[in-house]
Amino acid sequence: MTEVTRPTNANAPRPRRVFRRWPELLFYTLLTVIVVLYSAPGVGVILTSFKTTEEIGRLGLWSLPEALRVANFTEAWTGGNVAQYAINSFLVTIPATIFSIALGVLTGYVFAKLPFRGSEALFVFVVAGMFYPPQIVLIPLFRLFNAVGLYDTLWPMIIVHTAFGIPICTLVMRNFFSAVPNAMREAAIIDGSNEWQVLTRIMLPVSLPALAVLATLQFTWIWNDFLWPIIFTQSDNMRTIMVGLASLKGQYSVAYGVQGAMSIMASIPTLIVFIFFQRYFIRGLTLGSVKG
Amino acid sequence: MVRTRRLWTGLFLSLPLTIYIVIVVAPLLVSFYYSLTDWNGFNPEYSFVGAENFLKIGRDPQFFGAIRNTVVWMVAAIFLPSLGGLAIALALNGRGFAGNIYKSLFFLPICLSLVVIGQVWIWMYHPDWGLVNTVLSGLGLDGLRQAWLANPQTALWSVIIAWSWQQMGLAMVIFLAGLTSVPKELTEAAEIDGANYWQSLRRVVIPLLGPATVVVIALAIINSLKSFDIVYVMTQGGPFHSSDTLAMFMYNESFKKYYMGYGSAIAVVLFLISLVLISFYFRQVRIMNEVYD
Amino acid sequence: MKQLVWRLGAIMLLVALALGGCTAPVAPAASTGGADAPAAGGEPTKLSVIHYFSDTLGKEAMTKILDGFAAANPGITPVDNSAGHEDFKTQILVTLAGNNPPDLFSYWAGARTQFVVDGGRLAPIDQMWADNKLDEIIPAGIASGASTYSGAKYLIPLGYHYAGMFYNPKVMAEAGITEMPTTWEELIAAADTLKAAGIAPFALGSKNRWPAQFWFDYLLLRTAGPEYRAKLMAGEAAYTDPEVVAVMEKWKELVDAGYFVADANAYDWTDAADQVANGKAAMTLMGTWITGYWNGNELQPGADYDFFPFPAMQDGVPNVALGPVDGFVMTAASAHKPESEKLLMYLLDPAVQAAWAQAQGALAPSMKVDASIYNEVMKKASDQVAGAEGFAFNYDLATTPPMAEGGLNMFAQFMNDPSKYSDYLAETENVAKEVFKK
Repeated sequence: MTEVTRPTNANAPRPRRVFRRWPELLFYTLLTVIVVLYSAPGVGVILTSFKTTEEIGRLGLWSLPEALRVANFTEAWTGGNVAQYAINSFLVTIPATIFSIALGVLTGYVFAKLPFRGSEALFVFVVAGMFYPPQIVLIPLFRLFNAVGLYDTLWPMIIVHTAFGIPICTLVMRNFFSAVPNAMREAAIIDGSNEWQVLTRIMLPVSLPALAVLATLQFTWIWNDFLWPIIFTQSDNMRTIMVGLASLKGQYSVAYGVQGAMSIMASIPTLIVFIFFQRYFIRGLTLGSVKG
Repeated sequence: MVRTRRLWTGLFLSLPLTIYIVIVVAPLLVSFYYSLTDWNGFNPEYSFVGAENFLKIGRDPQFFGAIRNTVVWMVAAIFLPSLGGLAIALALNGRGFAGNIYKSLFFLPICLSLVVIGQVWIWMYHPDWGLVNTVLSGLGLDGLRQAWLANPQTALWSVIIAWSWQQMGLAMVIFLAGLTSVPKELTEAAEIDGANYWQSLRRVVIPLLGPATVVVIALAIINSLKSFDIVYVMTQGGPFHSSDTLAMFMYNESFKKYYMGYGSAIAVVLFLISLVLISFYFRQVRIMNEVYD
Repeated sequence: MKQLVWRLGAIMLLVALALGGCTAPVAPAASTGGADAPAAGGEPTKLSVIHYFSDTLGKEAMTKILDGFAAANPGITPVDNSAGHEDFKTQILVTLAGNNPPDLFSYWAGARTQFVVDGGRLAPIDQMWADNKLDEIIPAGIASGASTYSGAKYLIPLGYHYAGMFYNPKVMAEAGITEMPTTWEELIAAADTLKAAGIAPFALGSKNRWPAQFWFDYLLLRTAGPEYRAKLMAGEAAYTDPEVVAVMEKWKELVDAGYFVADANAYDWTDAADQVANGKAAMTLMGTWITGYWNGNELQPGADYDFFPFPAMQDGVPNVALGPVDGFVMTAASAHKPESEKLLMYLLDPAVQAAWAQAQGALAPSMKVDASIYNEVMKKASDQVAGAEGFAFNYDLATTPPMAEGGLNMFAQFMNDPSKYSDYLAETENVAKEVFKK
């Protein structure tokens, strides 16, 4: 079944290089110049992370470090409660990513395959949540979680990221499911499958690319968020890594080196997730975007 | 049959909608309520002031400044990262291993948090040893040296460029995805017909990128309405509100000036603006779908 | 469809009502007791503390203080829940509004504390003050100015700072200035000498706006005097008054003469401190915390840096010192008031006050702290405050927060283009009208 239904362009041959008539050397030289310029900010962080504060003061941020010191990295790791922060970040990011996608799959399936009167309006209503800045609901949400006794646990972050992830996940999954022919669902229903079976046995296997897109996006966004943990937690051992990073940037703080080192460490998990899903990512967006 | 279908619909929608309504929608309604009061965020008591906050919006020049900046941001967000991402995608598409290495370098900024990116770009723009001014001096353009983030003429654009630097990678990925859906037969056919690179690009490739463009632009609009983190890190909306976006302005009014009621009113207006944009977006998408179906 | 809409609407309304707590705020006791309440088994009481000392020096010193308190009081464990300096403000507002604040938090004495007191969110400490005879420990000026709000005591001062003209003695000596200016004319003369020698007289890093306020404050204090300034801060005078115009005019003369390092708004105050330290500029008007920064960079007090008080400008105007007071307050919602009071008292311990002062480059409010703990520069600062005819809070602590936002904004505008200061003053007066409901 899955073999037949796999969308054709998932396995499409790579397009041949388009119009390769330019002198290759010139092209790559130009490209390299652009890439070097583009990478400059990132390189700045890396260079800084190996320098002492005194060296930064004397040589500036952009010069090469005099020696490859890892002191900033060890200080960033041991200075705060970073190991705990990292664990918390994973404990929030992984479940919230999974839950938001799972819920988006359910709603996306209904909006794509089980339309009812008013479902279009309901769909717009769900997607609308994507458009307002979440800062405005800090106080009501704080009151909610405080009242139910979840303040200062990781739960508020998991729940909030799940909820705020529903719009984007619904949008992408609905577009993706729409691209799968209706006939497949109908055939399965006639064969005696129920909607749950259609969703899990027919729809999900062909939508792995879309799931990968969402997994990458959601993981990155949730991992990098620092607004909610500041509000919903107060104990140091409930902090996430981005809060740790943000708190390094105190008003009087000039520890650029440690900051750089911590930034690099904090972005490694998203980088890994990205590389892992990269293949699917490119395919998934194609499919999701065909239907807009 | 209809019954079971309705049963499944209800079953599938109940949990997501409940969570969505409790966490995303209901708190927003609470803010709508606050927008009708003069609450300062601290006091347990506050009074009902009716439409006063909304009238104040109408005569607040800073609000219109923030609107203007958000529009600038939106327009820039639609063009800068998109065109940059498109150019890179076209240049790197199908270039094998070397191309993949370059692609990952352009991907990289997406992985970094905006807090980090803001900090790096503060260093980039530092008036004395920042890379931007250093490069300008190196090119003999000392006259163009600026205190980029301190000059009200350049602060907003400096932040937008830092932000676009990150978003370009995202646009590139989406366009690369779009390009894989361009059948090679089409470009080959164009080639045989004697079209040069630009002609084929304009007549064949670009039109087929329509769906990808819709996604890029939707993300650009959403992100520009919500642009907060990087402004917060880089300028806090300053110098003197020259880089205020609506989200930043709302935050400052609510949490720095303690005008929680007024801040909520700004959020209501922001939400209404986005509703207009969403309906516009969905209309566009429906038109696109009719074209491509 | 219709039915669906109604049902959704009903659910949303219900939840919104539950969340808003508009009519019936969640009872503080219900939310704060719970797990933290002292158990009979001897489980230590946890005191939640939030402070804004997020820089390397301050954070370390605060951690030491809290550890010291825990060691001295085995039954009580203070828990430091601070985030970064900027996020502190949001954190405090949301937790207070949500009725689950920490037991204690650090705060800036002055209008900001008044703001929270007005909201009924702080617990008065008059009983504790009387029981411990704090009037014998805390000088009357600080007790009335920084600790008392609406007639009751609320804040325990931990440290305070004095704003003065910090300079690089070597640079001054090279330019031939050996006597530090005591009058406005002498200051201008010194600035001219320095400028002729190719050194910028004044460094200012007003990127975060507040460093510029000391210029406004001192110019106003030295010309119009503290009484007028207090009126302006309370909204009883106008920013368009001739007194304020005169201040801006004087300030503008300095900028126009090229005495300031260019692009003040591009730099942080630490950049300005560096410019003075490395001789690019000669002086910077800043609080005593700059000594903590310089000491951290291995500069020697007296040899590498020193200060003189902002010169007198007009006869008959009292000599008032300027600076912020950092203190701790106890929240009304705290479920551990006796334990919190213990911690507040511990903060007044002479050894704690001395350690804090030395780590932060601050002055200790407690009269029990011996002046011998200070280095020569801080000793001078302490003497200045003692000899002054009054102590005023700097601008953003002297006036109410929404007003301070408007004023700080004006200072940044001014440093960018001083020529249009009268426009800025008019705008600021509009803000004042809104804030003070004039």
